[in-house]
Amino acid sequence: MLELRLGRWKLPLPQFTKWGPRDRLNFRTGMLFLLPWTIGFLAFTLYPMVMSLIYSFSIYHSKAPLEWNGIKNYADLLTDNLFWTSLFNTVYMVAIGVPLTLFASFFCAVLLNLKVRGQALYRVVYFLPSIVPTVASTILWLWILNPQAGILNTVLGYFGIDGPNWMTNPAWSKPGLILLGMWGMGNTIIIYLSGLQDVSVSLLEAAELDGANWWQRLWNITVPMVSPITLFNLITGVIAMFQYFAQAYVFRGFQNLGYPLNSTLFYSVLLYQNAFQWLKMGYASAMAWVLFIIILVCTLLLLKVSDRFTYYAG
Amino acid sequence: MTTTNLPAQYPEMGLKVETEETRQRTRRRKFRGFFQSLFSHTLINFVGLFFLVPFLWMLITAFKSNEDVLHTPPRWLPYDNVRVDVNGKMLPLYNVQTEAGTKQLAAVQIVEGVGTFVDPNTPDQLVEYEIQQGETKIAEPVMHVSFRWQNFPDAMNRASRPSINASFWVYFKNSLIIAFFTIIGTLLSNAPVAYAFARLKFPGRDILFVIVLATMMLPYQVTMIPIYLFFNNFLHWGDTFLPIIVPSFFANAYDVFLLRQFFRTIPEEMCDAARVDGASEWQIFTQLVLPLSVPVLATVTVFTFLWAWNDFTGPLLFLTSPRNFTMALGLQDFQSQRTLIWNQLMAAATVFTIPIVIAFFFAQKTFIQGIKLTGSKE
Repeated sequence: MLELRLGRWKLPLPQFTKWGPRDRLNFRTGMLFLLPWTIGFLAFTLYPMVMSLIYSFSIYHSKAPLEWNGIKNYADLLTDNLFWTSLFNTVYMVAIGVPLTLFASFFCAVLLNLKVRGQALYRVVYFLPSIVPTVASTILWLWILNPQAGILNTVLGYFGIDGPNWMTNPAWSKPGLILLGMWGMGNTIIIYLSGLQDVSVSLLEAAELDGANWWQRLWNITVPMVSPITLFNLITGVIAMFQYFAQAYVFRGFQNLGYPLNSTLFYSVLLYQNAFQWLKMGYASAMAWVLFIIILVCTLLLLKVSDRFTYYAG
Repeated sequence: MTTTNLPAQYPEMGLKVETEETRQRTRRRKFRGFFQSLFSHTLINFVGLFFLVPFLWMLITAFKSNEDVLHTPPRWLPYDNVRVDVNGKMLPLYNVQTEAGTKQLAAVQIVEGVGTFVDPNTPDQLVEYEIQQGETKIAEPVMHVSFRWQNFPDAMNRASRPSINASFWVYFKNSLIIAFFTIIGTLLSNAPVAYAFARLKFPGRDILFVIVLATMMLPYQVTMIPIYLFFNNFLHWGDTFLPIIVPSFFANAYDVFLLRQFFRTIPEEMCDAARVDGASEWQIFTQLVLPLSVPVLATVTVFTFLWAWNDFTGPLLFLTSPRNFTMALGLQDFQSQRTLIWNQLMAAATVFTIPIVIAFFFAQKTFIQGIKLTGSKE
């Protein structure tokens, strides 16, 4: 069988053999079942992809006909300061926010996996924030991070820490957003927790008999055993973070997008602004394709690199 | 416990041998166990506060009065001005520093820093005091712990902006309508697709499934602009719910994958038996597989509700007039005003969150199962 291999992942390639009448019948039945997806794929994925690729090479603002622009949109991106600012902000979140959140959620999952009375209740408490709607949780955190009447700086004050102006200081707006993300990381915690529960008890007990302490067992058995889950969480986290939008859109309050000082102007926010506020739809489409390529390269790179660090049992 | 004459170096003989040494070891282990458990409890509670306190703060703020909400430093419980009955009117009570010491007086009105007060005991004598003289406060409201339930109707009956002829009830209703139809569409469209990928054998199936999975990698930003133009300029569906609801009737990669994973766990022999009995694939799907799949369909329902209720980008792109706003959009619009009324904002945010919390407590297992399924590898 022909297949495309990428590390551990195999993509089957279609085999061109002659179809018998049975094949034809099966194909017809199969395609009938697939009809909703096929229409959806053509109308909401393939057609838009082709169109946005065309837009990305043209000047287009929906009111006037399309005007061919060559690769100028892509070339303009290179000299667009806002583009680089937004890319920097996004990479900041991907490089700092995602690993931090991953680490914190693993830590929380380890806590929730301890044999402690009332664990069921703790699990609910840790998970509940993740189901609060994004707009509600972002507004809540704006209120918590409020420099005067917010509770975060009040609580920091109890420990003698003079909290920063989270929302108005460009250096602290992104850490504020990372905190907001960590508050709602219940999903990642649950995925980690289910992975921790699958770690073989006999293996851990054998290590304990051999005199390994808690930390050694965690580092040498648990961490490698959940490494496929870490990879999964890492990839989904990176993909989602490159598309970070709603939180940043709400977080500026009544200020301009990107407030304070473009520090929350993320890639998708700038793209939205280009497309729907400045009606530079061709330019925004070019941004979208660059984003797609960045995400693709990052994912493939992670898959490739992870092969050495990921352990698959069986 | 029995003490025997056996030497301590033969514990493996299965006899409990207790010497001074083993007794000490047990004591030490118990001692250490106690501290480990204390440490775990402290840590899990401490981290738990990070998740719990913001949630509680939303509720507490939702119950605060206007006088209390911007108080610095913030108070951990909702406070309200004490009110007293003066000639049938409920007036706020103040601590006022008068010539004869501090008195509790009711405020009739406060205009430009000058308050007109009245002693509740002598309701007909009005006196005037400046609220503040230099740095010292002359009159300060008397506060007590009080939950202001009125914030909830106040928030829900208002619109996101004063000039708008709609209310948060309308936004709530719109969110419900969109969530309802999105759930219907998702259930109807994804199950047959997933069944085909899970149980039917036909040429090209595997490569099509790879395409399904590949679409997960495609960022929404790539297709967003053409889809927007298609719905808005071509179909003229702008400012209706249709652009948000209709795509859900055409299957999506996540739900197809989730359902397929479940369908594959249904024993193949059952389907084969039905096939031998002459059942068509459609009959097997609707009469055999679907009834067995109620749990996973519940998962899809709950997650679709969560997703549709939470969705911000869709409504932001397509809904322009306030009477069509969803809760997410209305809340953001409310928050984008310069005069922020945090207690009402938090009350509206609470109402926005409640349906999901209710769904969670009714379907806790379904929730957790669904997250684990999405996290499971193939």
